[in-house]
Amino acid sequence: MDYLIHLATLFSIYAILGLSLNLVVGFTGLLSVTHAAFYGIGAYTTAILLTKFGMNFFTSLIIGMIITGVIAYLIGLVLSRFKGDYYALVSFGFNIIVFSVFLNWQALTRGPLGIPGIAKPSLLSAGWRIDFNTNILFLALAIVFLLLSWSLSSSITSSSFGRVLKAIREDEKAIQVFGYYTPGYKLTIFVMAAMMAAVAGSLFASYISFIDPSTFTLNESIFILAIIILGGMASHRGSIVGALFLILLPEILRFVGFPSDIAAQMRQVVYGLILVLLMLYRPQGLFGEFRF
Amino acid sequence: MSILPQLVINSIIAGSIYTLVALGFNLIYGATKFFNLAHGVLAVVGGYTVFFFFKEWGWNLYLAVLLGVILAGFIGYLLDKFIYFPLRRRGASGMVLLVASLGAFTAIQAIIAILFTSQFQTLAQNVGGQTIYEITNAVITQTQVIILVLGLAILAALAWVLKYTLFGKAVKAISDDEEVARIVGINTDKIIGWVFFIGSAIAGLAGIMVGFDTGIEPVMGMALLLKGVIGAIIGGVGSLIGGVLGSFLLGFVENFGIWKISGEWKDAIAFLLLIIFLLFRPKGIIQK
Repeated sequence: MDYLIHLATLFSIYAILGLSLNLVVGFTGLLSVTHAAFYGIGAYTTAILLTKFGMNFFTSLIIGMIITGVIAYLIGLVLSRFKGDYYALVSFGFNIIVFSVFLNWQALTRGPLGIPGIAKPSLLSAGWRIDFNTNILFLALAIVFLLLSWSLSSSITSSSFGRVLKAIREDEKAIQVFGYYTPGYKLTIFVMAAMMAAVAGSLFASYISFIDPSTFTLNESIFILAIIILGGMASHRGSIVGALFLILLPEILRFVGFPSDIAAQMRQVVYGLILVLLMLYRPQGLFGEFRF
Repeated sequence: MSILPQLVINSIIAGSIYTLVALGFNLIYGATKFFNLAHGVLAVVGGYTVFFFFKEWGWNLYLAVLLGVILAGFIGYLLDKFIYFPLRRRGASGMVLLVASLGAFTAIQAIIAILFTSQFQTLAQNVGGQTIYEITNAVITQTQVIILVLGLAILAALAWVLKYTLFGKAVKAISDDEEVARIVGINTDKIIGWVFFIGSAIAGLAGIMVGFDTGIEPVMGMALLLKGVIGAIIGGVGSLIGGVLGSFLLGFVENFGIWKISGEWKDAIAFLLLIIFLLFRPKGIIQK
């Protein structure tokens, strides 16, 4: 049972990452492969504020979102100069640069040693105190954040703002003719998605209670991308299904009888092949409405 | 004692390895116009083939290297035949091809990790016992001299082939306009298949060289690929000489960049260089 709760919590975290990345990649058509960087900035902010300053989790979450938002704004400013292949390549670069900072700014992040002992969240209001120190309570918290992300994403994509994003994806020049300043829209959604990823990062740090740079590599960004490509571009349901499938995949492989280190590699093989096969036969993913 | 000469030598060695990756990447990009990310993993294929035949089975070194190069080329060819070619024929966008190549990259890298574990392995047999040459305070190993010479030889050979043979002219025609090339009777699919073979074989050789110089591990492909791509882009995509200049510039900037700070920053420095170039000189050193 504990094991299922663990998987469900991981699933919620990755579903938030998938939902947020889909806003950028699926709805706006920008192939960003740097999501793990923002996920990491959120996680590190929470980790540092909780262990060094004993701050409340929820305060750290908000600060993490703000810091990530500012950094995403700066990165987005540079990225908005590019499109297509170059956009993807430069976003690779930012992931690697942010990862290098996690690894090398040892005074702040303790580098490869990582930050252990990150506290679980607790909520104190009007004399009540809830500690999210059991796994089931933490899962409840993660699901609340997942639902919040879901409703935020759907309200974004069903608003007029969301329609402009889709128009940018389909034909940026055409929507510019109508007087929309498209770089502003692209930057806004990029920053919003990054802030949502920061929430996932804060949850992850507090849940696992230990983080190190190896969680936030380029491979992690590719993994998040695989979630939405599998589930479906520009589909919220797709992000959820993709996260569910890719989180369960290594468990299924382990269940079939692979030892766990091979299962981890087998997962890479399977999702690599899935990416190839989807591109060959169904580039929009399972539930997607958009293909590159 | 100054470390300047050593830095120069390190930069040149790094530059020649990046050049090899960039050469193949440039060739393939020129003909197909998409970022073939799987290019990096072919270097890993080359390295591990030599590891398998030379170190585990004890075969002859030259035979193992030859097999490594051919296998890398062959897998590159297969990727084109079974993945990129069908996609191209359907008129898929560069992004679809990019994601597909990313998938191929991930899968092949993981298969290699399953077969050979994720451990760092060296190909050289007498570690530390290599012949070393000294040039004014700096050392260069025999392996590194071979890397340098072989790198230059391949560059020259490739330049000659592209310039003077019928095949080279066909590649150039395809790079300019594939459709027109086909109309004038060039079998573009076959030529592109060969381009994949040659480009991937050169990448395989780069992986083997890295293996003899330092060592190989399954995850090295991405770093190597990105360096080659950065070299190719800052040099000017599609230009052979540009790719060489870009790769050497990258080698120098990277190695001099870490003169005063930790070596772990190398990758970040490489990407900063790329971003600066893309912002201020997007077409690279040699503009086409």
